[in-house]
Amino acid sequence: MGNPILDTFFEETEELLESLAEGLESMQGAEFDKETVNSVFRAVHSIKGGAGAFKLNELVSFAHSFETVLDEVRSETLELTPQIMHTLIRSADHLTDLVDAARSGRSMPEDVSAGFLSALQACLGEGKIEAVDAWDNFEFAAVTLDIAPIEEPGAEAEGEAAPAGFSIAFKPHAALYANGHEPALLFAALADLGQMTTTVDLSAVPEWDDLNPTEPYLSWTIALRTDESEIAVQEVFEFVHGLCDLVISPLTDPTPPAKAEPVPEAKAAPAPAPQAAAPTAPAGPSATAEAPKAEAPTMSDRAAAAVAALKKPEKGDDAEAKAPKATLRVDLDRVDRLINAVGELIINQAMIAQRLQDMTSTRDDDLVMHIEDYRLLARDIQEGVMAIRAQPVKSLFQRMSRIVREAADATGKMAELVTSGEGTEVDKTVVERLADPLTHMIRNAVDHGLENREARAASGKPAMGTIKLSASHRSGSVIITVRDDGAGLNRPKILEIAKRKNLVAQDAELSDSEIDQLLFMPGFSTAATVSNLSGRGVGLDVVRNAVTALGGRISISTTPGQGTEFTIMLPLTLAVMDGMVVTVGGQTLVVPITSIIETIRPQPSDLHRIGTDETLLSIRGRMIPVVDVSRALGFPSPEITGSPLLLLVESEGLGECALVVDGVQDQRQVVIKSLESNFGSVPGVSAATVLGDGRIALILDPDAVAGGRSGYHMPNILSNAGRTAYANV
Amino acid sequence: MSLRDTIRIMVVDDMSVSRALITQSLEEIGITKYQTENDAKAALGKIVAAPVHLVLCDMNMPGMNGLELLHALRTNKTTARIGFILITGQPTPELLRIGQELGLNNLIRKPFTTATMKASIERVVGPL
Repeated sequence: MGNPILDTFFEETEELLESLAEGLESMQGAEFDKETVNSVFRAVHSIKGGAGAFKLNELVSFAHSFETVLDEVRSETLELTPQIMHTLIRSADHLTDLVDAARSGRSMPEDVSAGFLSALQACLGEGKIEAVDAWDNFEFAAVTLDIAPIEEPGAEAEGEAAPAGFSIAFKPHAALYANGHEPALLFAALADLGQMTTTVDLSAVPEWDDLNPTEPYLSWTIALRTDESEIAVQEVFEFVHGLCDLVISPLTDPTPPAKAEPVPEAKAAPAPAPQAAAPTAPAGPSATAEAPKAEAPTMSDRAAAAVAALKKPEKGDDAEAKAPKATLRVDLDRVDRLINAVGELIINQAMIAQRLQDMTSTRDDDLVMHIEDYRLLARDIQEGVMAIRAQPVKSLFQRMSRIVREAADATGKMAELVTSGEGTEVDKTVVERLADPLTHMIRNAVDHGLENREARAASGKPAMGTIKLSASHRSGSVIITVRDDGAGLNRPKILEIAKRKNLVAQDAELSDSEIDQLLFMPGFSTAATVSNLSGRGVGLDVVRNAVTALGGRISISTTPGQGTEFTIMLPLTLAVMDGMVVTVGGQTLVVPITSIIETIRPQPSDLHRIGTDETLLSIRGRMIPVVDVSRALGFPSPEITGSPLLLLVESEGLGECALVVDGVQDQRQVVIKSLESNFGSVPGVSAATVLGDGRIALILDPDAVAGGRSGYHMPNILSNAGRTAYANV
Repeated sequence: MSLRDTIRIMVVDDMSVSRALITQSLEEIGITKYQTENDAKAALGKIVAAPVHLVLCDMNMPGMNGLELLHALRTNKTTARIGFILITGQPTPELLRIGQELGLNNLIRKPFTTATMKASIERVVGPL
């Protein structure tokens, strides 16, 4: 577009739409305060204002109608019925569409907008929406300002630039001395600000006989020539505030003005009663009094009251506390360059540490310590940089409530979205790439998860179905769950479909969790008839692929009659991870720590051979399949003998399994370098990294290695078609 | 030195887009001594500390709105006679009336152009 202000408008509008959605959501709740309605109104109003500046007329006219209805709600002339609430929410959705359309330079079909406009109009009953330009003919008699006041503060303001200064009248109270302050020190501080002429007023000093040594008699007039602002001068007197009479005024002419309070003539005056002058007299246009002002404001009570009336009701200071923190918009490329550089820094640190370790002859404890500091610093920097990319999932979750509404409307069900953990922060890319899979899962939950009204009524559930969406951090991962309170998975039906589609062998006996896993098979679709919503030929396998591409896992659990829960587990960041460096078949590999449960070296008697080339590990009363990593990756490898070193890993959907490795070298943070962008996709390998010694190590994908192993588990029960499909996952 | 070189303006608007549009117009007019604030309360503090000649202020803002800022400026002795131009999309009669009572100097209707902004400012401070 080339117009940076327009770009800013769209960015800002996005934020406004978010706060609009948020506000409308809390308006749906039983309790909401007026400030919520105000913020909703303001959001729409601001969008309208900005859109007007860019002549986005479609947006302006819709926002205007929207705003009019909100204004009625705000002023409580319109009761907020569920019907109107619904219209408001759908209007917000439409506004979002209009903004998107405007951004891409499209325009929305007119009948769509017309539909929403008439819905808004219907909210107002007979009330009319005034035309957008209703106020175009406003009359306002501009009030002219005299040049004088303009110039006057100008001169003064300019004075800050040109050497000018202040006249300071300073008269200490007895308390000033009693508190241990010393005028000479204050003057010294003042002298630091500029050139100073001090005149002491001795007129108040009484005759010797009358002198009370505890009473202050002296006062000073100081002419200070300085470039500093009045604030700087006031700061000097900060600690004696209230302990003296202080008048600071701009220095107007070379002679120190006799503005200082006339010190009472003689007599053993005790500490003077506080004079009328405030301790800090403003430097404002006090010297401009000669400029007569015709339009000196007449502040009638009525006006004041009107202002109070115009003032939107506020909860008070809480509203301010919620004011957004200052933020900085940064080009994403710059952040990514920084992240990349930090990744290199980490690798570099690892290299130096490695070299140092190799130099066993020269032990330098200091150097070792410094290298350790370097490591911690590098990690701190990295965490800080990662935090820049982290975003709360809130915006993502907010979009989902719209999906639920639309899905519910399309299926004739009633559904609401309940979210929790919106503040959970995830890498920006994850948030973006999760939008589609999550949308799909939410639609699925409404479409397939929730029962229809009759079924819900029959099982005694409330008509309103609930979709729960939550996010949380758990041990270095982000957990996102989607849960519905529907009927749960219909396993017999799933199995039947899978058999009909030839995804499993006709005589296969599958456990419950195996049946659940079938949902993720390519080519599987549960809806008996393709619904107009989720059954678009896109199955959960696509969701799973998207999640896997992000280095995450997805799992499913269901309780018949109570609902189904999908859990997505994602790494916090896509740039680094903690990994265990292992050796397999002479190669160095990295296994993600998140998937490792434990490392064990079992007794030979705990390994059981099954058939020709299968091995099971007996551990704590369970049997776990053993996978030879080197064989899975195609390295030449001897038979498993004796007691190999095993990594017990949790694999997606397939439960635990044990990976055979030759040795464990280290556990460290590695920087993930994508293989796909530089080389190509390699089965069983998710990415690569550069180790401290400069060697490249592949990062193992335990799920792929475990899932792709021959024999024991899934593949056994899959028909050939299913096996092929599965291997392609 | 013409007025446009010396005049000091404070722009108050909670929306960065509006601030950008206003300052863009100001620069086109040739006014360079402006500062911006996104919050009326903060602006009030700044104006009290270092007075300006003219305030260009949005009406609809969270916390303190435009007229409230005007009220606050007018009731403070040192800032009472600062020029104040309100920028609003909806100059309702009610708003105009209150503005007049508070000694509002002028009003700019949104959306504005550089030309209308210049005209509005000139009607208050004279030819730039």
